Amino acid sequence: MSLATDRVENDVGEPVAARPSDSAHSFAAILRRPLTIVCLAGTVLLLAVGLFAPLLAPYDPNDANVLHRLQGPSALYWLGTDALGRDTLSRLLYGTTTAVETSFEAVGLAILLGVPIGLVIGYFGGWWDRVVMRITDIAQSIPSLIFAFAVIAILGRGTGQTAIAVAIVFGIILLRIARGLVLRERELLYVDAARVGGLSTPHILFREILPNVVGPLIVESALMLGSAIMLVTMLSFLGLGLDAETPDWGSMLDDARKYQMVNPFMTLPPGLAIMFAVLLFNFSGDTLRDALMGRRRAVRRQPREARTAAASTVKPAVDDNTVLIADHLTVGYATDSGRLFDVLSDVSIHLRRGETVGLVGESGSGKSTTGMAMIGLLPPVARRSGQVWLGDCDLMAAPTEVVARKRGSDIAMVFQDPVGAFSPVHTIGQQIIEPLQTHRGLSREEATRRAVELLDMVGIPDAAKRINDYPHQFSGGMAQRATIAMALSCEPKVLIADEPTSALDVTVQAQVLKLIERLSSDTDTAVLLITHDLGVVAEACDRVVVMYAGEIVEEGRVADILRRPRHPYTQALLKATPRNEAPSGRLPTIPGAVPPPWEWPSGCRFAPRCGFATERCRAAKIHLVDGVRCIRADELQLALEP
Amino acid sequence: MLQLIALRVAMSVVSLFLAAAFAFSLVHLSPTDPVVLALGDGATAQQKLALARELGLDQPILMQLWNWGTRLLGGDLGQSIFAHKPVLDMIGEAMPVTVFLLAGASVLAVVIGVLIGSFAGLRPGSWADRLLNTGVSVALATPSFWLALLLGFLFAVKLRLVPVAGYTPFVDDPVAWAVGLILPCFALSVHGAAVISRHMRGAVIDVMDSAYITAARARGTPARLIARRYMLKNALVPIVPVIGIQVAVLLAISPVIEKVFVLPGLGTLMVNAVVTSDFPLLQGAILVIATILIVVNFFVDVALGVLDPRIRPQ
Repeated sequence: MSLATDRVENDVGEPVAARPSDSAHSFAAILRRPLTIVCLAGTVLLLAVGLFAPLLAPYDPNDANVLHRLQGPSALYWLGTDALGRDTLSRLLYGTTTAVETSFEAVGLAILLGVPIGLVIGYFGGWWDRVVMRITDIAQSIPSLIFAFAVIAILGRGTGQTAIAVAIVFGIILLRIARGLVLRERELLYVDAARVGGLSTPHILFREILPNVVGPLIVESALMLGSAIMLVTMLSFLGLGLDAETPDWGSMLDDARKYQMVNPFMTLPPGLAIMFAVLLFNFSGDTLRDALMGRRRAVRRQPREARTAAASTVKPAVDDNTVLIADHLTVGYATDSGRLFDVLSDVSIHLRRGETVGLVGESGSGKSTTGMAMIGLLPPVARRSGQVWLGDCDLMAAPTEVVARKRGSDIAMVFQDPVGAFSPVHTIGQQIIEPLQTHRGLSREEATRRAVELLDMVGIPDAAKRINDYPHQFSGGMAQRATIAMALSCEPKVLIADEPTSALDVTVQAQVLKLIERLSSDTDTAVLLITHDLGVVAEACDRVVVMYAGEIVEEGRVADILRRPRHPYTQALLKATPRNEAPSGRLPTIPGAVPPPWEWPSGCRFAPRCGFATERCRAAKIHLVDGVRCIRADELQLALEP
Repeated sequence: MLQLIALRVAMSVVSLFLAAAFAFSLVHLSPTDPVVLALGDGATAQQKLALARELGLDQPILMQLWNWGTRLLGGDLGQSIFAHKPVLDMIGEAMPVTVFLLAGASVLAVVIGVLIGSFAGLRPGSWADRLLNTGVSVALATPSFWLALLLGFLFAVKLRLVPVAGYTPFVDDPVAWAVGLILPCFALSVHGAAVISRHMRGAVIDVMDSAYITAARARGTPARLIARRYMLKNALVPIVPVIGIQVAVLLAISPVIEKVFVLPGLGTLMVNAVVTSDFPLLQGAILVIATILIVVNFFVDVALGVLDPRIRPQ
C-alpha cells in the first residue's frame, strides 16, 4: 500500500522563533503566491476539460479510420492518430474525463469505506479494533499495485472493478488515519462532556468527533488523488485496468509502446497528460494542507554570512595578558517585512589570561548571543558589526576557515545541554579524539591515549572503557565532564561556558564548577561563564558583567558588585538570588520579564521595570559610564540589606 | 545485536504466516467460482469438477487450509492452472530477474536520493535547492513506465547503446546481463530517488540545526568532516525506514518496467496470472513478494541497529 505513503512533507523551513509580523501564514497569504495561482488555475482547467471533453474533442474518441492510422501531428489530427486511426487529441481529452472520474470515484469510495470503520474501531477499541488492525497489517505488507492485482483477480477486470481495487488500497490507509485521529480525540474533554451529557454514541462519533478530524482527512484524501491516477494508469498500461473501449491515458501509452518504432510521437501526449495531472493534484493537495493545517513555512533564502567591512578593524591597544577582546559587538536580525532590530547593542568585553568572568542576566538579555558571537557561531542570517580579537585575529572579519581552525584550539565552548552536545550515533571517544587529530595532528593511537587521560582528569571513572560508550549511556554530569574534557583538550586560551551547570543536579553543579575552575587555572585559560545565577558568579568568578536587554548595564569586580550593586537591575537580580539562609516564604523574583527585542525602549531599557525610573531615564539613550549604565547610579544607595 | 536479530526473525515468521493466510484466502474471497473464472463460461460440468478436484476445492475449507499449509511447508506451491507447470519452478525462473532489477534500482535510488537530499539540505533556500525541489516534484509526478518508454526510445532505438528489450541471464553473458539492466534499473529508481531525496533534505536540515552540530562547529571540526561524519550518519537514521518503504514501492512499480523492457520477472508472471485467473500462480507470486519485503524489512531493522546505538538492546 506503499504508493500513497510516498507523499512527503515538504514543509521543512528554517525553524525561526516568532518574530514580529511573521504570523501571517493565512489562507489569503498562501493564495497570494504566484505559483499557487498558476497551479490552482491549472487544476480548475483540468477539471473543466474532464467535464467538457465531449464539447472540446474534435472527433469521437472511438472513431476508427484505418486509412489514417499511426499519423504524426497534422492540421487534421493535431496530435496524430493511433493504430486504428483514432484521433489522439480526442482520446486524450476523453482520457481526462476518465482519469478525473476514476480518481475521484476511487478516493470517494475509499473515504466511505475507510473513515466510518476507522472512526468506530478507534472509538470503541478492544477486540474489533485488534482484528481489523491485523487485517490491515496484512494488506499493508503487500505493495499497493500487487494488492490491486489480487483484488482484480478476485473481482475480474473492468472500470468499476479498477476503481474498487484502488479504493480498497486507499481505504485501508484512510481507515488507519481516521482511527489514529479518533484515538487522540476521544481522550479530550469535549468527548467526555458529550458522554456525560448523555448524547448517543453515533451522535458523539459523527456530530462531535468527525467535524474535529475532518480537516486532516480531507487533506489526506486530496493528496491521494494524484496517486490514484498513477495506480489506475499503471493498471491500464498492464492491461488489467479499464474496459478496452474507455479512452484512458494508461492504455494509450500501452498502444504507444507497441508502435513506438513506427510513430514515436504517440508516447508524448498521454505521458505528459499524466505528469501534469498528477503534478497539479499533488500541488493542490499540498496547498489545501497548508491552508487547513498551516504547516508549511516558505523557505527563505539564507544569505551568506554578512561579514563587516574590514575598514575599521584596528585592534584596540591592550596589555599582553588580554587574550580576547569583544569590541562594540552589535547583532541584529531582519523581520520578514525587512524591519531591522538589534538583539545585542554595542557590547564590549575583554578577557585576561587565567581569569574567570561571569556574564549574567535573565533569559533574553543577550548573554548567549554574546557567547556565540565571540566564537563566531552566529546564525548566517544575523547582521553583525564590531570586532572579536583573539590574539591578532579578528574573528568577525577573518575567513571562515581561519575561524574554524581557531575554534577548538584557541577558543572553545561548553554548552548547557551536555548530552545534546554529542552526536548520539557516535561514541564519546570519537568526538573527543576528533579535535585532537584535526588541531594537534595527533595519530589515532596518540589521540585515543590523550582522550583517555583527559576523561580520567575530569573525573570519569573507568575512562578507558567509557570512551567507547555512546552519549545516551552517560549521565548529565558525566557528559558535562566529557564536554569540558573535549573543550580543554587542545588547551585553548579562552573557554566560553554557556550555562554549564543549569541542566545538572544541584549536587553535581558544584563539582562541575570546581572542575572548570581547577582546569582553567591549571592551563591559564580565560573563562567566560555565562549564567543567570549570581550564586554561581559569587562562587567561581573574578569579574562580572551584567547584561539586560542586549546591553551591558554594569561590570566590575565580583566582590564589589555583589556587595555594592550600582545598577537597579543588578540589585534586583541579587535580591532574586536565593541564599542558604533565605527565610521561609516565597522566593523573590523580578516582576515582569525582559521585553522582546523589537519592544526595547529608546531610553533606559530597564526603565519600565525599574522602581527608581524617572522621566529623565526614559528620555534618551543611557551610556555606560564608569562601569554602570544608570544616570542615577551616584544618587541611589543600593547596598543590600544584610 | 544478536537479540535484536532474533526478535526480528521471530517477527518475520509471523509476517510470513500472515501473508500466507492472505494468499490462501484469495481463492475463497472471489464472488465468482474461481474454477469458472479460470475455465470461462463455456466449460462443461465435468471440466469444472476436474479442475476443482485438482485445486482441492472440493474439500472442506479447513482441510484445504491444512493441505495447502503442509504442502507450502514442504516447498510445494502447487501447479499453475494455465501453464501446467509447478508454480515453484515458474517463480524460480522469474525471481532472479525481479530481484536483480529491484536491487539495482534500490541501490541507485539510495545513492542518488541521499546525494541530492544532502546537497539540497545543506543549502536550504538557495537556488540549487529550489531547482532540485522542483525537479523532485516533477520526478514524483512522472509515471515510471512513461519514463522507461522515453529512455528506451532514446538509448536503445535512437542511440543504440543498449538492447531494446529482453533479458540475458547472468550465467549466459554477464556483460549483456549488466548492460540490459541499466535502463530498467534507472527508470525504476527515479521515483524512489525522488522520495528519498525529499526526506533526506528534511533530515539534513533538522540535523544541521541540532546542538551537536553547533558543538562540533564550536570545537573547530572542518565543515566537510561535519557533513561527512556527523551529518550523514545522523540524517540516515530517519532515512533508513524510508528506504525500506521505497523498496516496497519500487517492487510495486516493477511490473510496468518489466513490461516496457520485456523482462520475464515476477511482475510479468503476476499480470499473466491475473489475466488467466491462475490462482495458484498468483498465490505463489504474492507469497514470494511478501517474502522479499520481509527480508528487506529485516535488513532495514538491522541497518537501523547498526546506525543508531540507542535502539540496540542493552
